[in-house]
Amino acid sequence: MADASNLARPSLTGRRWYRRSVATARILLTVAITMLGLITLTFFIGRVLPFDPVVAILGDDSSREAYDRVYRQLGLDRPLYEQFFTYMRDVLSFDFGRSLSSGRPVIDDITRVFPATVELALLSIFFGVAIGVPLGVAAAARQGSWIDQLIRVFALIGFSAPNFWLGLVGLAVFFAGLGWVGGPGRLSTFYQFDIEIRTGLILIDSALMQRWDIFQDAVSRLVLPVGILAYGAMAFIARMTRSFMLEQLSQEYIIAARAKGVSRTAVIWVHAFPNIAVQLVTVIALAFGFLLEGAVLTETVFAWPGLGRYMTTALLRGDMNAVLGCVIVIGLIFITLNLLCDLFYRSFDPRTR
Amino acid sequence: MTKHLSIGCALLAATALTLPAQAQTPQNTMVMAWNLDAISNFDPAQIGEVVTNELITNICDSLVALDMENESEVVPWLAESWEVSDDNMSITFNMRTDAVHPSGNPVTAHDLVWSMTRVLELGFGNAAMLTSYGFTVENAIESFVALDDHTFQLNLSDPFPISIIMQAVVSGRVGHVLDSVYLKDKEVDGDWANDYLTTNTACVGPYHLRQWSAGEVVVLEANDNWWGDGPATPRWIIRHVPEAGSQRLMLEQGEIDIARSLGAEDIISMQDNPNVVPASTLNHQIFHMSFQTGREPFDNDLVRHAFRYMFDYDALADTVMAFQGIPRHTVVPYGAFAALDREEGAPFYLDLDKARELLEEAGITEGFTASLYIAPGPFAPEVAQHLQANAAELGITINIEQMASAQLFSALRGREFDLTLSSWQTNIAHAHGMLERHATNPDNDFDSQLAMYPSWRKSWYRPDFNERVRAALFETDEERQLEMYRQLQLDHMEQAAGAYLFQQYNNAVLRSNVEDWKWHAFRVFYREAHKN
Amino acid sequence: MTEHPITDAPPTRESLRDWLNAPVAKSPGQARAQSIWRAAKRLGGNYAAMAGLFILIVLVGAAAFAPWLAPYGPFEQDLNRRLLPPSADHWFGTDQLGRDIYSRVLHGASITLRIALLAAAIAGPIGLLVGATAGYLGGWVDTVAMRVVDVFLAFPALILALAFVAALGAGINNAVIAIALASWPPIARLARAETLSVRKSDYIAAARLTGAGPLRIIVRHIMPICIPSVVIRVTLNMAGIILTAAGLGFLGLGAQPPMPEWGAMLATGREFMLTHWWLATMPGIAILTVSLAFNLLGDGLRDALDPRHG
Repeated sequence: MADASNLARPSLTGRRWYRRSVATARILLTVAITMLGLITLTFFIGRVLPFDPVVAILGDDSSREAYDRVYRQLGLDRPLYEQFFTYMRDVLSFDFGRSLSSGRPVIDDITRVFPATVELALLSIFFGVAIGVPLGVAAAARQGSWIDQLIRVFALIGFSAPNFWLGLVGLAVFFAGLGWVGGPGRLSTFYQFDIEIRTGLILIDSALMQRWDIFQDAVSRLVLPVGILAYGAMAFIARMTRSFMLEQLSQEYIIAARAKGVSRTAVIWVHAFPNIAVQLVTVIALAFGFLLEGAVLTETVFAWPGLGRYMTTALLRGDMNAVLGCVIVIGLIFITLNLLCDLFYRSFDPRTR
Repeated sequence: MTKHLSIGCALLAATALTLPAQAQTPQNTMVMAWNLDAISNFDPAQIGEVVTNELITNICDSLVALDMENESEVVPWLAESWEVSDDNMSITFNMRTDAVHPSGNPVTAHDLVWSMTRVLELGFGNAAMLTSYGFTVENAIESFVALDDHTFQLNLSDPFPISIIMQAVVSGRVGHVLDSVYLKDKEVDGDWANDYLTTNTACVGPYHLRQWSAGEVVVLEANDNWWGDGPATPRWIIRHVPEAGSQRLMLEQGEIDIARSLGAEDIISMQDNPNVVPASTLNHQIFHMSFQTGREPFDNDLVRHAFRYMFDYDALADTVMAFQGIPRHTVVPYGAFAALDREEGAPFYLDLDKARELLEEAGITEGFTASLYIAPGPFAPEVAQHLQANAAELGITINIEQMASAQLFSALRGREFDLTLSSWQTNIAHAHGMLERHATNPDNDFDSQLAMYPSWRKSWYRPDFNERVRAALFETDEERQLEMYRQLQLDHMEQAAGAYLFQQYNNAVLRSNVEDWKWHAFRVFYREAHKN
Repeated sequence: MTEHPITDAPPTRESLRDWLNAPVAKSPGQARAQSIWRAAKRLGGNYAAMAGLFILIVLVGAAAFAPWLAPYGPFEQDLNRRLLPPSADHWFGTDQLGRDIYSRVLHGASITLRIALLAAAIAGPIGLLVGATAGYLGGWVDTVAMRVVDVFLAFPALILALAFVAALGAGINNAVIAIALASWPPIARLARAETLSVRKSDYIAAARLTGAGPLRIIVRHIMPICIPSVVIRVTLNMAGIILTAAGLGFLGLGAQPPMPEWGAMLATGREFMLTHWWLATMPGIAILTVSLAFNLLGDGLRDALDPRHG
């Protein structure tokens, strides 16, 4: 905001630049306010929970002296507004405090568990897009046909199935029964110490080390959770693709193109598809955001050491620092994704340009 | 894009289908699956739950140890020998001189003085293990004395039975010898290195903590500098696998060697599997229902007693509690000194008519409503629903409320509950261990916050029991002492603020190539177990 | 409406079809009825949606008549008959306390229905009101409301619900409130978008000219326009609500024992997944079926009421 005054000089490019930076500043301000709201909400949720943070640290049988000491250490004896400002200050400097469940700074924990979730989410979104988009297009191209109905029901089942249940059934059938896939967890114990963590994404790390046996083990464990999460993402993406495509296909330019004798496939992929691509990116980003936060129960079932499980365990233990830290990180990612989509939309969509 | 997709699918399918059928664990590594959610800390002064307790006893040596075969026998360990003074008021320990901490510092009597003093100073739950036997922050200097580098003297304030002191004080968590020279550098704001020890260990023992990733894994590795013979298996990997079903699958596939949190049905269904062997040992842990005697109608002994006739103990033991526990209605666990035998220790049975009579005798003719708090766990919800159904026949409405354990702790500490189901474990094989916490209550005032006493949490205060428990402890004639404990248990069973239900088992299922899995109620000896 | 008292009178039985199919509506009432009729016809032709509706009707029936349909009481325990596989006596088998799972699943229908309807009944109007107000008034009201919506959207839904349940105490009513609180923001956003598209229309301008205040305009003119899309959205959300409730039950913080809530049954059943598959499978299928039914119906409703969005 401070440099906005410098730009107030009236030159043509300057004025345009000024307008643009005002718009950007506005967006950033919006983001800042949202973040502030998020922090406030998390703080107050932390306050109303019936968990005594002192008891959560000390267990149920400490002496009165120890209790009072920790109570003061946590600053709980100070007025609420003071605690709030301290909290705000810490969070703004990315200090989420220390986790009760691990004894380490929350931010360290998050950087440790986050790659596991990202690996799941990235792969799931990849397959969700790779399968969902063609299915959606195919359904739209033959609207009302049995293919359309089949794809629709297939997608709706993906929408409707409780994924923790699918996970349990999947493990029972494909791991226990048939032995086709690997078990719970990211990696067999056998490889626990062979892997050198660089990116935290085991597929990449093992590929970098050229340890294809580890790679294979990791893949065999990713198949099920990724399959289940990808199914949900695919369902969402296929449905949205179908709607967007139908809207395009009813446009006059498409009808005109068809009338000129352009083939059906060409109309769909050459004329209509590029026009829905921008909208699709938004949808995919949204689906990715849901995957990041939505893997909570899947991670529980697959003993997946990711963010979702970390957050749930923390909440059930009354480890509020960890919960709030995770919520803020997820919120930040969510807001950033939204923002990026917004900007992307603005700069590429022909209608808003 | 479609081409990429098909290649990706093919690759994925190929790798998945060529997966080796059996993933074997390495020979030099024992892999155990357990629910590790409870771990939050590795400071022996603060550890208060089963999982970390088991780990720390394999990481930190204590002054004396419990015998591997007999849970009530104390054997020399870091102390090679000891002498008791004639007046029974002091024990002098001669410590071995060849023990060295991982840092290279020698293990000394000064370490022990520092370690025990910090337990008192920090005042976590474990401090009660010392204060119960007369040790206080004020008398610590006189009580814990290093006569020289390798001679430690423990001075008592009362003539407590030496056998109890040996079990309760110097063999347990408060008797772990920490590396005081090393740790003094790690102190922050006079915290006795509590902060540092949250994620680290600094003590002598067969293993050291190589890695702890919360919610993932704990790795123990043999301590090369240990004074004893090296452990049979140099590395233990304890994986966090919260789902019993997942543990079972991993065990059957040979991906883990030991599963620790399997349910009864899993164990039963694996009985025919030649690749696995179940193991179990009776813990000194009692699963019980607590009543808030500060609230009506639970202030009435008869009302509480009526509840003891609302459980079908035998049917539960055969079904829900199979492999989980045996009926036990006295608070003193079977196997402890002076404990009632199996029959006398479990006299109650399902008898709703009797329960109704007791309620009527208490003046309760109309039904009432009470809430029952439970933490989600393997069998508490089932036992709770069993009680709920039986109580409903007497017109008593019980509302079950599951809550996170952190929340349950807060409720217990604040005495804000009607009924709860939970477990309590003692660390000594002696009737006093349980009775001291469940039958005595030094100060019932709410402000005293004596939450380490379950009796205090339940507002249960009986001065006569306070005296009788103490008298029994100090009785020197063993026959009379046994009789005193017997009478105490019989009376406590009827008047207590708890309905004691089951004594719990500790369960494990092992791959059949795991040998020398040694354990008893208080210890699991990792150093012995190995694979062939 | 008062201008056309005669044509707006309830039509006689014979002429009802003609009245609904009349090429030119003679009154706003008739126009509205006609559009609903056309939508209903479109919906009726959609077999998938009809299947969804049928399942939901069965669900309502099961919920209403569970006490008569169920062969056993939902809480009737018998430790001697526990963990029995599906048979003629126990169609879905029995659970770990010897309760009949078929009876429990039937009784569970009313719980699921109650959760879904109550949560929707709370979230729908809140979302509608906030969205319509923000969209119509604009300015700082809009800014504030949308920031609040953003904050809630950025908060992981299950965690938000979990936190609320933990704060309010576990139980079905609190679960409903928690879920509703977590699910109103998308509805608000939708209602706002709808409002923005109509607030400049002549129709609203005309209403304003007749002297209607903002409250009246929002409630009488804007909210009715938003209702179709909100109803569609809420129906589609029902599945999500059911899954969240099941997730809460799965984590032990939803319905409390011995309530036969499907998610909680599933959570108990997972312990027996490998030894007694029917414990988790039956409620799992029930959840899947009902949430699929809501999705099918919602999808169909969207096609029928809102052809623009295919």
